[in-house]
Amino acid sequence: MILHTVDEGGLKKRSVSHTRRSAAVLLAAVVSVGHLLAQSQRLPNAAASVKFAVIGDNGTGDRPQYEVGAQMARAHASFAFDTVIMLGDNMYGSQEPADFVKKFEQPYKALLESGVQFFATLGNHDNQLNRYYKPFSMGGERYYSFAKKNVRFFVLDSDSLDPKQMAWLEESLKSSTDEWKICYFHHPLYSDGGTHGSAVELRVVLEPLFLRYGVGVVFSGHEHFYERLTPQKGIYYFIEGAGGQLRRGDIVRSEFKAAGFDQDQSFMLVEITGADLFFQTISRVGQIVDSGSIRRGGPRL
Amino acid sequence: MSLTSPVKRAFRFAIDHYVALPVGVVAALLWVQVHAESYFRFSHASSFVVNDIGMALFLAVMTKEIVEALSAGGALHSWRRRSMAIVAGVGGMIGATLTYFAYLETGDELSVLGPGWPITCAIDLAFCYFVVKGIFGRHPAVSFALLLAIVTDILEFLIVALRYPVADIHVSGVVLMAAAILVAIALRKSRVRRAWPYIAFSGGLSWAALYWGGLHPAFALVPVVPFLPHASHDPGFLAEPPPEAHDPLNEFERTWKYPVHIVVFFFGLVNAGVLLQGYGTGSWAVLTAALAGRPLGILLAVAGGLAAGLHLPVRIGWRELVVVAFAASIGFAFSLLVATQAFGIGPVLIEVKIGALLSLCGAVVALALAVLLRVGKFAPHFVQGGARV
Repeated sequence: MILHTVDEGGLKKRSVSHTRRSAAVLLAAVVSVGHLLAQSQRLPNAAASVKFAVIGDNGTGDRPQYEVGAQMARAHASFAFDTVIMLGDNMYGSQEPADFVKKFEQPYKALLESGVQFFATLGNHDNQLNRYYKPFSMGGERYYSFAKKNVRFFVLDSDSLDPKQMAWLEESLKSSTDEWKICYFHHPLYSDGGTHGSAVELRVVLEPLFLRYGVGVVFSGHEHFYERLTPQKGIYYFIEGAGGQLRRGDIVRSEFKAAGFDQDQSFMLVEITGADLFFQTISRVGQIVDSGSIRRGGPRL
Repeated sequence: MSLTSPVKRAFRFAIDHYVALPVGVVAALLWVQVHAESYFRFSHASSFVVNDIGMALFLAVMTKEIVEALSAGGALHSWRRRSMAIVAGVGGMIGATLTYFAYLETGDELSVLGPGWPITCAIDLAFCYFVVKGIFGRHPAVSFALLLAIVTDILEFLIVALRYPVADIHVSGVVLMAAAILVAIALRKSRVRRAWPYIAFSGGLSWAALYWGGLHPAFALVPVVPFLPHASHDPGFLAEPPPEAHDPLNEFERTWKYPVHIVVFFFGLVNAGVLLQGYGTGSWAVLTAALAGRPLGILLAVAGGLAAGLHLPVRIGWRELVVVAFAASIGFAFSLLVATQAFGIGPVLIEVKIGALLSLCGAVVALALAVLLRVGKFAPHFVQGGARV
């Protein structure tokens, strides 16, 4: 595993190679202490900024999901995000009404009560009918878009990218005049996951549209870990699929990876202020395992 | 002996057994593992020409074989011979579908993968035929398997056409299709003895009808081919038409015989490229439905048919039936075609495609069972039968 962390002044990277899992856990814990102290300094937490959290592959209903939910609530107390984007596999196993309580409403109770709005995309484990579940804010659609100030989110159904969805995406991207265009969907176009890997066929059809219409950032799940890829053709790709699930040690070494964390569950906090996007990835126990910033239209940091 | 004869024999074998298809499949599988991005770029750029235009010719050739087999003098002309195979075909579809859903019920991906159930119903006509023929030689089991596969695929055509509209359905499609059929009738009434006017005019209208109607245009020639005048003599399934046969149906086959092999090569190349890492629940669901559900459905349906007073063709007992049932589990190219209609681009499509490719295992299982049960060419006193297929 390689753990890249970012210091306060920018993106000074520190790479630590590990051959043994136990050593990686120990080092991550040590590194995290410093980050915990600096947590409040990572994000500008500006008054008029767009703030949101990112979770994926979360709907297990198990203890780690609840612990991530609690950690998100803790973060929300000092960083008042009003939106959570869900990257798919929002529910695993049975998806009866009681499961929505156990696997969604209870783990995120504090956030829901604070008025935080969740915007979901569907993963391969989600019942397609979940798009009608109001708290997922999908409006009954498999794919949709929504805007927050100067940011527009394009939410896709990567289970089946049919011609209709492609036409919708192209039209929506073309007509969007928003400063930031962010796409999210379940299957990652680039991934260093040993279990799944990159969805190359999706990449071949989606990436040209992202490039043509200026999509700057893409979030996906499916892989049960956190990964930040090196910018691919100028686009930043993040994988956050450890909101409840975890596939420990599944990240394999490649030239794509800028940072990765596969030792514990995690979620992301993101803040966009003007032309800058700041991000922070926090583990189930509150470690900051990655953070940094991206400047839109300028040199990538 | 001429030096060229082994080459000629190999070429003949390749043509007779549609070897171009597995060659295309293998090429796709190799290419995609080596350089996935360039493969998918090629695949998407070629998919319309191959799947929507080229495959219309392949399906037309398959329809031609079906038309001849069902016509007077054809292997499947009499209703008495058809009834049990029809029952078995329908039983196989039901068995495959129920097994597919039962498999998915055990996990949480039913909602995503459920719409792909018709993938499990398809039988690769050509492969099933070659496997059964290879095991039984000339034997009534071959006609039985053929009819079983034909019934299945006719129903499958209907399901796919109606279940997976490729675009919004426009009423103009119905008008165009009516025009296509009227043109075909007019050509036949006018005793037009060439195939190309049927294909060009009626086929062109039919293609436009399906395209505008939101249905898959690969089926464009299926409703046209039955209107082509044809000789009463059926040379056999995928057999060379006799030189004296100059009817439009055989002329059509002669003209398109070799181009169709190019089409199936590209069909394999364009559709079969899947990253081996992409297997998942869909792969196992399709495979289980094909290898377990369909044979079980066929056998249960035949048992039901026997109980209802139907008869199996002579010289077909339960042992032969078991082998045929497993040979019929091969979905391969037909399942691939249906898969591309069932799902858009994405990992789910890749999963089910892997299942479709793996259904080729049915050939190995059928062969192993033939050896084990000592049927067909593996019977202790195998004598080539006289049944014409």
